[in-house]
Formats: sequence, C-alpha cells, structure tokens
Amino acid sequence: MNYEEESEEIPHGFDNISDEEMNSESESEELSLSEPSKNAVNNKEGLLEKLEDIAWPNNLEWIQKLTVVYDQAEEIDVNDDLSRELAFYNQALNGARQASEKLQFMGTPFLRPPDFYAEMVKSDTHMLKIKSRLLSEKKKIDEAEERKKARESKKLAKQVQSQKLKERAKHKKEEIESVKKWRKQRQQSGFVKGKDEEIDFGHGGNSFQRSKKKRPGVSPSDRGGGFKGKDLSKKRAFRESKFGHGGHKGLKKLNTAETTNDLRDFNKGGARQDRKKRKR
Amino acid sequence: MAKKRKHEEASAEAKKKDDSALERPKRTILGWKNGQNEGQRPASGFMNKEKVLITCSRRIIYSRYRHLMLNVISLLPHCKKESKLESKEIKGATINELVELRNCTYCLFFECRKQKDLYLWMARSPNGPSVKFLVNAVYTMEELKLTGNHLKGSRPILTFSSNFDKEPRWMLIKEMITQIFGTPKNHRKAKPFLDHIFAFSIVDDHIWFRNFQVSIPHNETDKVDRGGLDKMTLIEVGPRFCLNPIKIFGGSFGGPTLYANPLYISPNLIRAMEKRKKGGRYVQKVKAKTRRKMHELENPLEPDEFAPLWKE
Repeated sequence: MNYEEESEEIPHGFDNISDEEMNSESESEELSLSEPSKNAVNNKEGLLEKLEDIAWPNNLEWIQKLTVVYDQAEEIDVNDDLSRELAFYNQALNGARQASEKLQFMGTPFLRPPDFYAEMVKSDTHMLKIKSRLLSEKKKIDEAEERKKARESKKLAKQVQSQKLKERAKHKKEEIESVKKWRKQRQQSGFVKGKDEEIDFGHGGNSFQRSKKKRPGVSPSDRGGGFKGKDLSKKRAFRESKFGHGGHKGLKKLNTAETTNDLRDFNKGGARQDRKKRKR
Repeated sequence: MAKKRKHEEASAEAKKKDDSALERPKRTILGWKNGQNEGQRPASGFMNKEKVLITCSRRIIYSRYRHLMLNVISLLPHCKKESKLESKEIKGATINELVELRNCTYCLFFECRKQKDLYLWMARSPNGPSVKFLVNAVYTMEELKLTGNHLKGSRPILTFSSNFDKEPRWMLIKEMITQIFGTPKNHRKAKPFLDHIFAFSIVDDHIWFRNFQVSIPHNETDKVDRGGLDKMTLIEVGPRFCLNPIKIFGGSFGGPTLYANPLYISPNLIRAMEKRKKGGRYVQKVKAKTRRKMHELENPLEPDEFAPLWKE
C-alpha cells in the first residue's frame, strides 16, 4: 500500500531553528506556515482524470443533484467569527432562494405541510432542552433589566423625597413668618379687637388643628382614639376601646388617677387568707 | 429488496407490451400512482445509487468526534454504519473489502488519533480517489445554541461557494461531496420535502460546513408558497466542522498521491513547536542570567568617592 504517514513529515525550514534564533522563533514559525513545503504535489492532470472517472453524466437533471453555486464577492476574514458566519448564512440563504425558485418553477412540492409529522433530526427532548435554555436566558435578561429599572427608580425616588422635604421646610418657615408678621401687626395696632383679629393664616387656620389625635371624651387607654366603634359591633367596639388594637400596650398598663384610688381589688381574701399563709 | 426489483422489471415488461393501449395508472396502497413518478429515470438511464459507509477508528469514544459522526449518520439517510475498526487495520485492504461487502460506493472514515485529532477520509471505492482531511472547529448538533431542526432524512440542498470551481483539486472534492452528501432522489429512506441546506464554502483553503434549516412562511393549504421567498429565514441546525485537505490519493485509501497540501502542518508538530517554545523560555532566562553575570564581572563598579563622607 502506498499509504503515507503525513504526521511524521517535518516541513522544510523548521529543523534549523537553533538556540540563537530563539527570539525570532515565532517569526520562523509563521514562515514555515506560509511557505509551501517542497515535497508538495499537485498533479492537475491526474486530478482531472479522476474527476472524469467519478463524475455523474453532464446532462443530469438538477433535481437529482440539488446543487447551487454561490459567487462569493469579497474575501472573508477567517478570524472574524461574526463576519464569517454571516457570509456562510448569506451563502446558504442565497442557495435556498435559488433552489426554491427552481423547485417552484418545476412545480414539485417541497415545503413541509404543517400536518406532516415525522421523525426529526433532533429529538423532542432535545428541542425542549433548547427551549428551556432560551427561556432561561430571556428570563435572565428580563431580570437584569428589572434590577436596572429598580435602581434608577430608587435614585429618582430619593430625589423626589429630598424635594418634598425641602418644600415642607420652606412651607413651615413661611407659616412661622406669617405668624410673626401677624403678631407684629397686632402689637403695632395696640391689640385692638377688630377685623385684624380674623387674620388669614394662609390656610384658614386649619394647619394648626390636630387631626385625629386625642379627641375630647376619649379615655387615654383608647387605642382607636374613639374612631374604632363605627363599623364594629358594640361588644367589639368596647373591647377595642378597652384593650386596644395593636400599637403600644404601655399606656394601658399605666395607672391613672382612678385606678390608684380604686382599692377594690386589694385584700380580697381578708384576714383569713393571711392566717392560712402563716400556718404554712 | 429482491422481490421489489423483480416486480419493477415485470412492470416494465408489461409496459412495453401494451404500449399502444391506454395505460392505466397503477394501484398502490395509498391511491393511484401517477404516470409522472414512473418516468423518474432520465433518458440516459442514470440513477443515483450512491451509498456511503461510515465508520470510525477505535478510541474515538472519549471525544465529541463520535457525536459528530453520529450527527453525520443522522443527516445522511443513504449511509450505512459500521462498527469501529482498529486504526492499524485501515492500512490494509480491510476497509475496502468492508465497503464492498456492504455494497457501498463511498466511505467516510473518521480516524481519531491521540483522542485529540480527527482525520476524515472520503474515499470512493473500489478504485479511488480518496481524500484525507484534518477536521477542525467541531461543534456537534447537540449543542444547545443551535436552535434549528428539520426532518430526518429529507434531501438537502447543497450550496458551494464559487471558488470550488477554480482548481482541479477543489473540483474533484466538490464532486465527491455532492455524491456523498446529496441524498439520492426517491431513496427509500428519504422524506419527500426539502427543508434544509448544506453550505460548503472554501475560506482560507479550508472547507467549512454548515447545516441550516430553511423556514418559509407558507399557507397550510398551499404547498408551494408564492410570496414567501423574501421572508425566508434560515436557522442553524448543526453540526459545524471545518475540513483541511491534507492529501488526495489516486486509489481508495492509498494509491499515487495526486495532491499534497503544502501548507499543512500536522497538529503533532504544532504542539511540539509550542512545547519547544515553552522550553526555550527557560533556556533563554538562564542564558540572560549568565550573560549579566559575565558583564558585571567584566565591568566592575568604580569605588564611590563619597562613600566615606557619610560614615562619620
């Protein structure tokens, strides 16, 4: 057999690399890659003869072969993955278009109808895996976007909050100023009762009213502030007012004037109980 | 098979007999057979009967090259799979014998060496030619980023870049590839629709292989769509590989060398070079050290005048 072992061949110009050339070794390597070796063979006649031997007849119908040639216009940079793959894609797309035009012209059905079910190259489980991977990737992207959005909104919220605080401070200042003004005016006018008294506090004086806090007639232990009973049953309302609903329990446990004066609960058993204790 | 063939012959004879009479379409299980299908053979009598034997060498197990081979098998319905061969065996006529035994015309032999390098032999048996490739950049179909899918056994469209027609060696390789990768029309395992395309292109003296699914939006009822050609998209199915031709032989798995790639360097050599480079680094370091020492000995430092000045 004329089988030859290529892997043991050493291309020309490699074995003369000595220690002195160490610095330029990478260069020499490139050289050996680009320089054709001398034992190369290119027997064109033989190749063409073989081609004739194996070739199919020339007048073959296209449908037998299904080959399409694509003319590549520009050189492809091999190391640029994206452009290379794009070139392959374009080639395939062009080929597919040409082929399907020809097939359409011939009138042969070549598109798979949607109700044609048959074994595919990739199994369903494999396709499921692919799908789940795509989904998880999409989810990842979505999550990252959401996080980004949240970060931005947080930033915005901070700004809004600071703006609000500033506004409140300003408002307060204005009100205090207006009160001072009013006082001055009153002093100047010598506390005369008149229409000056009904001064406008800017907001009709409402700003000084305490809203829900401690309405008169409500016990200090009432957690609901007397508001609770409206929608509740009577019993519930009473309990609510007595025991409270959430909030601090501290106030409830404090003594008030009434409870300190109320001595009903003390010394329940009287002297008899005391005696029992002593016997023990 | 034999039965079928006989039947065909008989039918052909019958056809000849009642040539004058109006031919009645033949009845099949599914319905009436068209006259068109009968006339599938061209006038020349040619029929694509290529069969491909696909085997591999031992010890391919530990690499994903085996998966590449399985993918190729799944893509070619007209192939026959053979069990692994001891790689020494191929030097004899064993593999040729095997191809003959299995009634094949072509052989794809995946030879894995050192569990790293994959060589692919494309050989036409019994009397050549054969091409030996080094396979690079292998991605199998199992990889999850390739999302396409197509019918198993549907005939592929083959597209070649135009630089296949520029040199005799590429022309020869192109012819071999069309005969190996093209599924014969009306092959019994082939499915009737065309939904994928193989792209072969030569870039940087390597043959790059890609497999795409062709998806054309089409109506359910209309089998041949009219306006969908512009909306056609391709989805990659895989596998991907890149073939670097090493040699072309006149015979099958041997014979006179018709072409040897002058730019080819075996991966063994590349690895050796890399190793040598790494070894060289240490030698260089040691050398630099001794050189420095010699230099220091040759040119001693002058005694500093001001050194005793600060001692007091």
